[in-house]
Amino acid sequence: MAFALDLLQGKVKVDDCTPLLEPKYKKDYDTLKDLLGAEEGKEKELRIDVDNDLCDGCGICVTICPVNARYCPPSLSGKAPDYPPEKHQLFQVKGGKCELLAIEYCRRIEAQGRERECRVCETYCPREAIKIDYV
Amino acid sequence: MANERVICSGCSLLCDDIIIKSDGLYIDEVIGACLKGKERFDQATAKNRILNPLIKKDGELKKVTFDEALEKTLTIIKNSSKPLLYGFSTVNCEAQLKGIELASLINGFIDSNSIICQGKVLNTAKETGLSLTTIAEGINKADLLILWGANAAESIPRLLNKVLFSRGKFRMTGREIKTLIIIDPVKTASFGVMGVRDIALQIETAKDIDLIRVLKEYCCKADGIPDAGVAGIDKDDLKRVLLHLTGTENGIIFIGQGLLKSQNGDNVIKELLELVQLINVKQEKGRISVIMLGGHYNMLGFDHVALSNYGKNHSLQFSNHQLVETPDTIITKIEKDDFDCSIIVGTDPISHFPTQLSKKLMSKPLILIDNKQTATSYVADVIIPSSITGIENGGMVYRIDHIPLNLKKIINPPNNVFSDEEIIKKIIESLE
Ligand code: SF4
Ligand code: SF4
Ligand code: SF4
Repeated sequence: MAFALDLLQGKVKVDDCTPLLEPKYKKDYDTLKDLLGAEEGKEKELRIDVDNDLCDGCGICVTICPVNARYCPPSLSGKAPDYPPEKHQLFQVKGGKCELLAIEYCRRIEAQGRERECRVCETYCPREAIKIDYV
Repeated sequence: MANERVICSGCSLLCDDIIIKSDGLYIDEVIGACLKGKERFDQATAKNRILNPLIKKDGELKKVTFDEALEKTLTIIKNSSKPLLYGFSTVNCEAQLKGIELASLINGFIDSNSIICQGKVLNTAKETGLSLTTIAEGINKADLLILWGANAAESIPRLLNKVLFSRGKFRMTGREIKTLIIIDPVKTASFGVMGVRDIALQIETAKDIDLIRVLKEYCCKADGIPDAGVAGIDKDDLKRVLLHLTGTENGIIFIGQGLLKSQNGDNVIKELLELVQLINVKQEKGRISVIMLGGHYNMLGFDHVALSNYGKNHSLQFSNHQLVETPDTIITKIEKDDFDCSIIVGTDPISHFPTQLSKKLMSKPLILIDNKQTATSYVADVIIPSSITGIENGGMVYRIDHIPLNLKKIINPPNNVFSDEEIIKKIIESLE
């Protein structure tokens, strides 16, 4: 999983995975090369998009994001975090819509190991309004 | 007033953590409220706001002074022997109490929206008993949440955020130890929050009663669940649901609108409350409670106000200024044409009721106390605009978990419009 993530983020290349170079995995190797294309090896940037048309401000992302949980105590009991936002706070709901505040503290950038694979905001948004991507 | 936390009156969850930035005249920012809540705060300056008293003259609503509207209201009431009062779920408890006082004074019949919603559960509970809980218990202790016929993600947008995703006081984890079961014939937005351990049951339409009966039969037995399953739910899922129901330490069933209609002529709520009681009697270490999901922010208030002051939670008929027995509800009263004018407070029956009832309602003089244009405001004979409770006036309200809360006034109402309570008080004083 960690390799796949690093691959997507452009930190390693397909060729860095030695078993993939074996002839029996040639098909998988070619498919991956195709998928990654010219972008391979280039550092990709994390993007978290919140679709404002879909979002109804339920605040689930605010509560479930582990970074918010750590730095914004009210969110532990499902309450709106204090305002103005704490500098690490990733999401807030303002004017009935979710706003992404500080992507640089997202676990996909900051954390190590398995924690780096966090995707809970995207997974649990009932409106499918959050999309995590690398561009 | 800057950055104060206030209560949102957008729905019956009455979230008490909303941060408002206001200069005392307008609300500039709303932080923490969902879109529905934001729209509620926006209502103060909304285009469809009613700001002037109106009277229907020659088929058209014309602006008048408050005194003229009051005068017309008194004329309609004085010419009536069977007035009907209805609504009262979007006003504070003080206005609800005044509403019942007015009904008593004019020998009318009064009912709230609750009778066609949450009140059905309360009425059934008189036979079966009711095990209640609070939102805080849900946040801090619940390990099983069941949405039954309830699309919480849409009707009460922040409910799941609070009770399912919060971590609670006594532990570091939250979502991980809470199991969610959704029972609904339609795959609603609420299904979108399900995780791998949760159970999604897309039940066949109007078959909830069959499922409840099977659960009632097998909840006390170790095995013997029917191989064929029930209501489109297979044996394995049934088994998992039973295990959760009988093994939960703190389970909450959220009863939604989907269960309020009778199925095969039987009361689904009754069967469900009996199932809960059955499990709770057997359970040694845990307990299941229910919370009814209603939309209007103070629907429960009417039941509490009426019950504590008059001993009956709905459908109060007065005669000689005394409460008298009646089997009628607002629906049967209108069906039977047993009224000669109506006073509607803070609701829109013309669009909510079936057409034949709406037609009957609009065929008699209709007085409306409300703050926004609705289908009812277009057919009303008199409209008295009111301030918005929770924004322009305060007062007591009851949350979905029967907890009383005090709403605060945030800004002054425009045009110095009166609150619902003040309006009804003025009508009472003018009649006395
Ligand atoms: S979870 Fe989704 S719908 Fe809810 S506030 Fe966040 S982005 Fe909006
Ligand atoms: S991926 Fe995880 S850490 Fe990053 S914003 Fe989403 S929930 Fe927060
Ligand atoms: S869930 Fe209801 S009470 Fe809470 S912010 Fe939304 S509309 Fe207001």
